Amino acid sequence: MTASRQGAPGFSLSRLADVILPKLVLAPTVLACLVGFYVFIGWTAWLSFTESRMLPRYEWAGLVQYVELFGNDRWWGAMQNLGVFGGLFILVSLTLGLLMAVLLDQKIRFEGAIRTLYLYPMALSFIVTGTAWKWILNPGLGLEKLAHDWGFTGVTFDWIINPDFAIYTVVIAGVWQSSGFVMALFLAGLRGVDDSIIKAAQMDGASLPTIYTRIIIPSLRPVFLSAFMILAHIAVKSFDLVMALTGGGPGFATDLPSIFMYQHGFTRGQLGLGAASAMMMLFTACAVVMPLLYSELRRERRG
Amino acid sequence: MGALSIRNVKKSFGNTHILKGIDLEIEKGQFLILVGPSGCGKSTLLNMIAGLDDITSGEIAIGDRVVNKLSPKDRDIAMVFQSYALYPNMTVRKNIAFGLDIRKVPKPEQEEIIARVAKTLQIEHLLDRKPMQLSGGQRQRVAMGRALARNPTLFLFDEPLSNLDAKLRVEMRSEIKLLHQRLGTTIVYVTHDQIEAMTLGDRIAVMKDGEVRQFGSPQQIYDAPADLYVAGFIGSPSMNFIPVQLHEEDGHAVVELDNGRAVQKVRLSPISDSQRDFVGKQVVLGIRPEQLTDPESAHSERGNLQTLQATVAITEPTGPDTLVTVTFNGIKTVARCHPRAAGAPGQQVELTLDPTKALLFDPASEKRLA
Ligand SMILES: Nc1ncnc2c1ncn2[C@@H]1O[C@H](COP(=O)(O)OP(=O)(O)OP(=O)(O)O)[C@@H](O)[C@H]1O
Ligand SMILES: [Mg+2]
Repeated sequence: MTASRQGAPGFSLSRLADVILPKLVLAPTVLACLVGFYVFIGWTAWLSFTESRMLPRYEWAGLVQYVELFGNDRWWGAMQNLGVFGGLFILVSLTLGLLMAVLLDQKIRFEGAIRTLYLYPMALSFIVTGTAWKWILNPGLGLEKLAHDWGFTGVTFDWIINPDFAIYTVVIAGVWQSSGFVMALFLAGLRGVDDSIIKAAQMDGASLPTIYTRIIIPSLRPVFLSAFMILAHIAVKSFDLVMALTGGGPGFATDLPSIFMYQHGFTRGQLGLGAASAMMMLFTACAVVMPLLYSELRRERRG
Repeated sequence: MGALSIRNVKKSFGNTHILKGIDLEIEKGQFLILVGPSGCGKSTLLNMIAGLDDITSGEIAIGDRVVNKLSPKDRDIAMVFQSYALYPNMTVRKNIAFGLDIRKVPKPEQEEIIARVAKTLQIEHLLDRKPMQLSGGQRQRVAMGRALARNPTLFLFDEPLSNLDAKLRVEMRSEIKLLHQRLGTTIVYVTHDQIEAMTLGDRIAVMKDGEVRQFGSPQQIYDAPADLYVAGFIGSPSMNFIPVQLHEEDGHAVVELDNGRAVQKVRLSPISDSQRDFVGKQVVLGIRPEQLTDPESAHSERGNLQTLQATVAITEPTGPDTLVTVTFNGIKTVARCHPRAAGAPGQQVELTLDPTKALLFDPASEKRLA
């Protein structure tokens, strides 16, 4: 049987189908990824070591751009904003998403409708979200005006024009957009939990809150990880949301590294500095994600 | 007062009546089997005993407490699920300890219980693993360990072995039996496997379509099934059902079997009153394959064995004996013969029938004519 198959004329053809065809099909994608990601990462890295200003120059200039970047107050302000925004955005989105998912998991009516409603913001682009929230939060147009019109004249809600609070409006808009998606992730995870596990815990005498906190939510660990990764990368690359909502202002109150990078690289003719800041963003993202991925992979290998 | 009493318990989901009045009662330390085909309501009944489903009407009592209104945790029962339902995020040790922890058992005592249970089930080396890292049989043991740790007055098992391979199932089956003999705790055990039912049970309730068709000891159910359904469900290979016309001769029930060449008269046990009503009518003769065998294998000390001629259609060797299919009254009938006496397809063989074991059923009501 095996001998006849080895000698068969179909051998090379089936080998083509089994081995080469998948590679052939995947090749354009792989190539596009290689060029799109790694070639441009490399190019950016190279530019960050040059004195490029308006146009790329390729002479090696050492660490001058990094030295300048680390001496730049606006950069550190942007990094600090990213810390505040990213931390709060991820924390609140996770908490809210999980809470909504747990509530939605209680076999309530209209679940389908509610789920879709929560998911809708995700369908909007960040530009739309940013613009909409700009209006909602504008003291002269949105919530504050509404409160005043209804007679609550004492209400002030001017965070968007207050340099100390503007960053929190970005958090609000970001959370509004993303928590529905996080909820969907958690809901899928909750639905994957075997019903009889809950029954077993009931027999063991656990109350519903205990069942959630000690069994179900801990077993959603992989979902937490995926949600965290997705939210973290949304936070780091946040650009359009802030541009539409506050434009980085008032002043530099909502400046983020991505805005810093864009403005220096493309509008201020400081390509080298922009490239250096882009590299720093990449390192920041890696510093957050790598240990997580590593520990998770190790856990899996240990079984 | 029994350890578990189920009195006229009904369950409906809206207009669909799943359980139609179940009555069961077992004594302390008995092993009750609920057996029946898929969808007959076994799990529903078990969940109602556990308190995971509420009862539409009727009464369930554990010991002398009516538990209808009690929540699962107050019923002093433990359950082993078909899918094991281990907590995936906890180690085996924590899985076993969880129920104790919730009940605020002090830590040192917990340790003692875990050690005892682990020793009983031989899972000491697995205590620090997560469920993911266990084989099916090991998960099964842990699930039992979790139930044992609680030391309840009643154990519930919902098809605990159905996810295991055949060999492991036989092993675990005898382990569960041993465990029951050692602990003496009352057990309710759901299965759809009639061999499991026969080997494990002290009492078997054969269920179908939300009703208990028969409730009794394994031997009662095997020897004197209440109806055609129970007779066919219990026993493997299953009982032969041959349509016959019933006659009476000298106070004995007599039927005729046609093997295709000749009609042979078979003299059964003395006729009973309920059977006498069917004289001259069609009834169903029920014979288990092992009661239809070759003369050599038949227990010759019992007189009155009836000899039958038949033509072999198929032979199926099982090792210790060979199943021989013959035809009586146009119906394929299986006989269990010694391999040497099995004959070959097309051959004539001589079979003996133990008439005291043959059963008669009413084809309309399907009830056995006692
Ligand atoms: N929530 C429900 N609503 C309506 N019908 C239900 C519900 N739960 C179970 N049933 C029905 O009740 C019947 C009995 O179900 P049950 O799970 O008790 O069967 P079972 O005897 O345990 O079968 P199996 O051997 O397949 O586990 C089935 O016909 C099922 O469709
Ligand atoms: Mg079931």
